[in-house]
Amino acid sequence: MRELDVIIERYQELKSQSVRCILATVVHVEGSSYRRAGARMLVDEYGNITGAISGGCLEGDALRKALFALDRQENKLVTYDTSDEDDAVIGAQLGCNGIIQVLFEPIAYEEVYNPCELLKVVAEQEVPTAISVVFDLDKTRQQLGTSMVVDENQTVFGKKLHDDLHKALLVKSREVIHESASCFVELSTEGKTHFVFIQIHQPSVKLVLVGAGNDAQILAQQAELLGWKVTVTDGRPTHANKERFVGSCQVIVTKPEETLMNINIDNRTCFVLMSHNYNYDLSVLKLLLGNSESPYIGILGPLNKYDRMLNELADEGIEVSKEDLAKIHAPVGLEIGAETPAEIGLSILAEIQSVLTNKGARPLKQKTEPIHDTKENQFQKISI
Amino acid sequence: MSLKEKIYLDYNATTPADPKVVQAMLPYFTENFGNASSDHSFGWYADDAVETARGQVAKLVNCRPVEITFTSGATEAANLVLFGFCKKNRGKGNHIVSCKTEHKAVLDTLEALESDGFEVTYLDIDGQGNIDLNEFEDAIRPSTLLVCLMLANNETGLIHPIKKLTEIAHSKNVPVMSDITQAVGKIPVDLQHLGIELAVFSSHKLYGPKGVGALYLNKRNHISIDKHLFGGNHEKGVRPGTLNVPGIVGFGEACKIAQQSLEENHKKFKVLQNHLEQGLSTMEGATINCRNQNRLSNTTNVSFKGVDGTKLLRHLNKLALSRGSACTANQVNPSHVLKAMGITDEVALASLRISTGRHTTLEDIDKTVTEIEKAVDQLKTSIV
Repeated sequence: MRELDVIIERYQELKSQSVRCILATVVHVEGSSYRRAGARMLVDEYGNITGAISGGCLEGDALRKALFALDRQENKLVTYDTSDEDDAVIGAQLGCNGIIQVLFEPIAYEEVYNPCELLKVVAEQEVPTAISVVFDLDKTRQQLGTSMVVDENQTVFGKKLHDDLHKALLVKSREVIHESASCFVELSTEGKTHFVFIQIHQPSVKLVLVGAGNDAQILAQQAELLGWKVTVTDGRPTHANKERFVGSCQVIVTKPEETLMNINIDNRTCFVLMSHNYNYDLSVLKLLLGNSESPYIGILGPLNKYDRMLNELADEGIEVSKEDLAKIHAPVGLEIGAETPAEIGLSILAEIQSVLTNKGARPLKQKTEPIHDTKENQFQKISI
Repeated sequence: MSLKEKIYLDYNATTPADPKVVQAMLPYFTENFGNASSDHSFGWYADDAVETARGQVAKLVNCRPVEITFTSGATEAANLVLFGFCKKNRGKGNHIVSCKTEHKAVLDTLEALESDGFEVTYLDIDGQGNIDLNEFEDAIRPSTLLVCLMLANNETGLIHPIKKLTEIAHSKNVPVMSDITQAVGKIPVDLQHLGIELAVFSSHKLYGPKGVGALYLNKRNHISIDKHLFGGNHEKGVRPGTLNVPGIVGFGEACKIAQQSLEENHKKFKVLQNHLEQGLSTMEGATINCRNQNRLSNTTNVSFKGVDGTKLLRHLNKLALSRGSACTANQVNPSHVLKAMGITDEVALASLRISTGRHTTLEDIDKTVTEIEKAVDQLKTSIV
């Protein structure tokens, strides 16, 4: 389950029990920190925490700040400077050296689009969305907070904002969705400056496992930990059933040529052909060639199995396009010396993650620059 | 004669608290009286006020809030910082470079360090109060662990080229501590630009309450100091003891106001200073000290030849001004600053420090000039 879903689930619980709560959001980070902008946690009035905004060093003080914001019924921006090695309050002796801005928002359940309700909209969308959090780094004016969600279809959800601000956020949100990258904006309007974090939110990764063997069982569990939506398909009801695949995993028993009938493929839907049945895998591969939005098709098995598939396809007069060849990963996975089903699962998931984020999957130690591009933290200045 | 009928011209000694400062402080004596360390609403409110103030103070001197520690004043800060730094870094050497014209808060602390085995070089100055840069560079030895030089002199208003001096010290890997008390609120002080490692200043020189000061530790250069007061982890243990929340709130508010009025005040003071010094310089035997130097625009130090200095101040009973440094005013000793400039004891005793402030008017200056002229004439006559 994704952290976002866990937070929303907790919010629903607290709401039903009328227990007051506060949402804390990392809205900006300068320098390095364990959690980046967009990390969130929900704190209830008794101090129980769901989610996380740091690796643990800020939570203690953040809890007090959250309760204070709840007491005051006012949004509050708190700056944590983890570069201070003497600071026993934060206890931030990670050597992180970052300045972390955290916004605390007391949740008003009666508000239709309170910050948690907006998060719910984000979580429920099957398309990319952009969520805007407005704040004031100078801390001299009201912190507007989580204000707007825009989805790919340009549907807008949120509270009422000043017209200029609303328009500017809408324009920037579209950009964020288009470029699939969050951004920070410093918006100047009539002498006022708003700082905004616009976060891209991609719908869950959908992982389709073709084959319901024991290795798929493990892979499904691992993928669920990542918050991915897993579908398992197989022709054998003895293998593909809910007893073997617990959790939120969807199980489909089907003939190979009908595999895609009940699957809605989008650009976050990844396939792993792992039926351990050559013909079954090949049949599904044929369905995926040429007409699928899927960014990733992994095929379990040695290289000569894949070669045989390509040869057989050629014999049938099916030419595999360059685009398809690029998205086919066979043998599936990264070379990390994986032997056991769980190790192979790890190698497959790591590969999918790197493909989806367009990263090279190499050790970070080989990187000479910081892990995160510092340019991404900079505020784009816009006057309206 | 009531105080109201007197003209106050001793703003370098202290300033009246701004009414807005007092307003800001009041709630923290009564309803928001919490201990900033308490983990409940009362404590949270107090802590929030302290952190807001820390931000305001940091903003005025352009540093990060974590770099500011609240103390009971500049003297305490100077003690903490000099002892704390020198003892922590004793392994690197035992030599300190300072100057003869420092404030007593620094000089007396250095003297105490001397009796603890540290060695201090007190730099000479020229007739205009300036430190010779070559002499300064030569004074730095391999065993030098700290340079300690004030930004603006409290008696003459002379501004030392701290940035230049710091560059020289840094070229020899020696950190710099500066007493910036008289400069803050009067001229723009940018700690990041100056590049110094340690600084001290106080609230009551900039229309804030007495009993509050600040100590600056440059975190970028990873400066930390040994602890010298014990009794809790307040202010990260650097200055333990329950925080003076109303005072700190007042300090913050004073800094906020100073920031807004810095430029406007500077212009006003310049006009007053020109007017005053024009009036004074026409008097026989009068010399304006450090006249053509880079000086604070609110400070004028004038010496009279052939006048009995011991009687001068008492003849000026309509004016509140200072003869030499306020902290040594109980003793009728010639000012150590003027003496260091090569001024004779006799003339140094017949010297006045006139420091103007936000409430000083041109009319006040006219009256002041008239009063001084009268007194100087009388004392001259009586000598003859």
